[in-house]
Amino acid sequence: MSKVHGIVYAYHSSPRLGDLTRYRTNASLPFCGRYRLIDFALSSLSNAGVHSVGIIMQRDYQSLLDHLGSGKAWDLSRRSGGLHLLPPFGVNTRGDYTGTAEALNAVISYVRSIPESEIVLMPADIVCNLDLAAAIAQHDASGCGITAICRGGAVTGEHHRYLTDAHGRVTKLITSAAAGTGVASMEIYIVNKDVLLDILDFCAQENRFHFHRDGLFQYLGRGGTMDVFLHTGYAVRVDAVADYFAASMDMLEPAARASLFPADRPVRTKERADVSTYYGEHAHVENCLVADGCFIEGTVTDCILFRGVRVARGAHLSRCIVMQDTCIAADAILQYVIADKNVRIGPAVTLTGCEALPIVIPKGSEL
Amino acid sequence: MKKHCIAMLLAGGQGSRLYALTAKVAKPSLPFGGKYRIIDFPLSNCANSGIDTVGVLTQYQPLLLNRYIGSGQAWDLDSIDGGVYILPPYQSAGERGSWFSGTANAIYQNMDFIEMYDPDCVLILSGDHVYKMDYDKMLRAHEQAGAACTISVIQVSMDEAKRFGIMNVGPDGFINEFEEKPAHPKSDLASMGIYIFDWKVLRRYLIEDEADPNSDKDFGKNIIPKMLAAGEKLLPYRFEGYWRDVGTIVSLWDANMDMLSPTLINLYDPKWPIRAKSPIRPPHSIGRQAEVVHSIITEGCTIEGHVENSVLSNSVTVGAGARVLYSILHPGVVVEPGAVVEYAILGEGTVVGAGAHVGAQPDGTDDWCVATVGPDVAVPAGATVPAGAMIYDGAEVHA
Repeated sequence: MSKVHGIVYAYHSSPRLGDLTRYRTNASLPFCGRYRLIDFALSSLSNAGVHSVGIIMQRDYQSLLDHLGSGKAWDLSRRSGGLHLLPPFGVNTRGDYTGTAEALNAVISYVRSIPESEIVLMPADIVCNLDLAAAIAQHDASGCGITAICRGGAVTGEHHRYLTDAHGRVTKLITSAAAGTGVASMEIYIVNKDVLLDILDFCAQENRFHFHRDGLFQYLGRGGTMDVFLHTGYAVRVDAVADYFAASMDMLEPAARASLFPADRPVRTKERADVSTYYGEHAHVENCLVADGCFIEGTVTDCILFRGVRVARGAHLSRCIVMQDTCIAADAILQYVIADKNVRIGPAVTLTGCEALPIVIPKGSEL
Repeated sequence: MKKHCIAMLLAGGQGSRLYALTAKVAKPSLPFGGKYRIIDFPLSNCANSGIDTVGVLTQYQPLLLNRYIGSGQAWDLDSIDGGVYILPPYQSAGERGSWFSGTANAIYQNMDFIEMYDPDCVLILSGDHVYKMDYDKMLRAHEQAGAACTISVIQVSMDEAKRFGIMNVGPDGFINEFEEKPAHPKSDLASMGIYIFDWKVLRRYLIEDEADPNSDKDFGKNIIPKMLAAGEKLLPYRFEGYWRDVGTIVSLWDANMDMLSPTLINLYDPKWPIRAKSPIRPPHSIGRQAEVVHSIITEGCTIEGHVENSVLSNSVTVGAGARVLYSILHPGVVVEPGAVVEYAILGEGTVVGAGAHVGAQPDGTDDWCVATVGPDVAVPAGATVPAGAMIYDGAEVHA
């Protein structure tokens, strides 16, 4: 039995994802042809032998529940442990969770009841294939109360960061700093259960909501020890349409794909009964990722096609992301378009977005 | 637990006419049409027809098949009251136990399994046919006619009829004669090897046939003729649609090629899904220099070369400049850069070295045949495998 429990934050909907999260939270945003963002967190946990996982959700979780089912796809349908869905409990809520500490305190009785001694905290909307088993081994060897998973490589952009000493132990939290300073947090932590309960207790008493800014700051201030584990592979947090588009296009690069889909740590997702993809006599496809169940008779370049997509003869798609069961009719011309699930694009429709501003077509639209 | 109808799926045959492809696996577990294995068709048909209890009779090389079927969850057959049960030959107290000596003997040896469900009817299926069929409709026809046995038949050309078991139908609409591979067929209705029996009747004939030392213990050769001779009511059930027996290299290749004509059999029908157990693989990638024309490609493939008129199972790699034409590539095949594969079936895990050439176009002679390699054979770089070759695992292919 694993001594590690997973908690995944799946309550967040980024406003900057616009129509993509109109009917779902970030967690169930489709990605890379056949996945939902939460698949990466659940697969990282499952591949590390963590088979007891709680999912914190708050609202708009219909799509997420539909995706998770019994948890069987991630080996989380179990007699002991398994998948625990954690919607809000009425008395604890006062609107959207402000931070992860508030979200954890909203399900505090669940956290207290966890039989495992270590807890992995993870956001559901980070695209990475984390070698969590290695991180847990390092955490155990370090003797620290907390291990923060951080990005390897150069630090750019806005991240929570840590300064570390010669042994790699965290000495200070920094929230804004010049490029290149410190290591950037991926907001994934391995925390000993007693340490987590202390931090949450403090946050609850002081009415603080942020695990990083409030909880960890106080923890380090009173002499708590914290190690850093560097994840050197691909990692992107999806928070806006442009991020989503860029991360999707990254998947057309073999190196990014190799980092995200190593043979020994498969990314699992909900199964669907699909046939193989059919390419017609007039199909022309270049530099694409294509899931099963597609029927392609048109021209498709630099695109990602999800399961069950149909592209009719004469249609031209370039740099598009086309989600599950969407149909593109004959002679339609689409560039820089993100078509959500079950969209119908009529004959000879022309849509042109651009790299920085791809056109998002909401789920179920007919054009 | 009483069941109205249960299915018994005969999956123990070797498929010896598929040679290298079935040297290590039973025919029902052979990959087919990209996503599938042959057994997915009868198992999916059962699930879609509301038959939730299926006994799978295995004997020859069952390991891969057992693992593939697992709990039956992939076909929604892991229900509380039903399930898929693997039935290998077994030994009883005081007996030596024996292999299944024929199709009827295989069912005879598993009568106790059938009795556990006390069924009214038993559906007998083979594990080597590709088709979509509603067994429930056939069951209703069987019951309406009050038949002892209903045999599914398909219309073939008079020329083809010589290769099948042919049913001759009397004026009352019941079968009055059965001829195995007749030189001069009297009818064009071929048996598809799918039977529904009244269980009490079948049970009696199985026991009688078992006691007959001259019997081959075979449904087609023994049970059906004996029932006809005794005047039992045998109903022909006409099936219209796509049905193929994939027992030979040529028929396996042909049926795979049929999947490139979606009008022949609609595998995209959400009302009748053919389900398969799939490995966990990302979407397939088509590279910048790749070209894919009139083909079927499955998840996990990486295509950098040219693929035309071919059927690729999961996790196949086709290197830059390689050409794959009119071929069937089973899971995990690697075609290295510059190699050519044409008119070939490559078994699981086969590697075709850079610049090698496997198979050849039909040359109009009767000797020409599809080339077959594998599974797990490495064709060295630059080697040539001629048309019609049959390369087994462990065989050395010389450059």
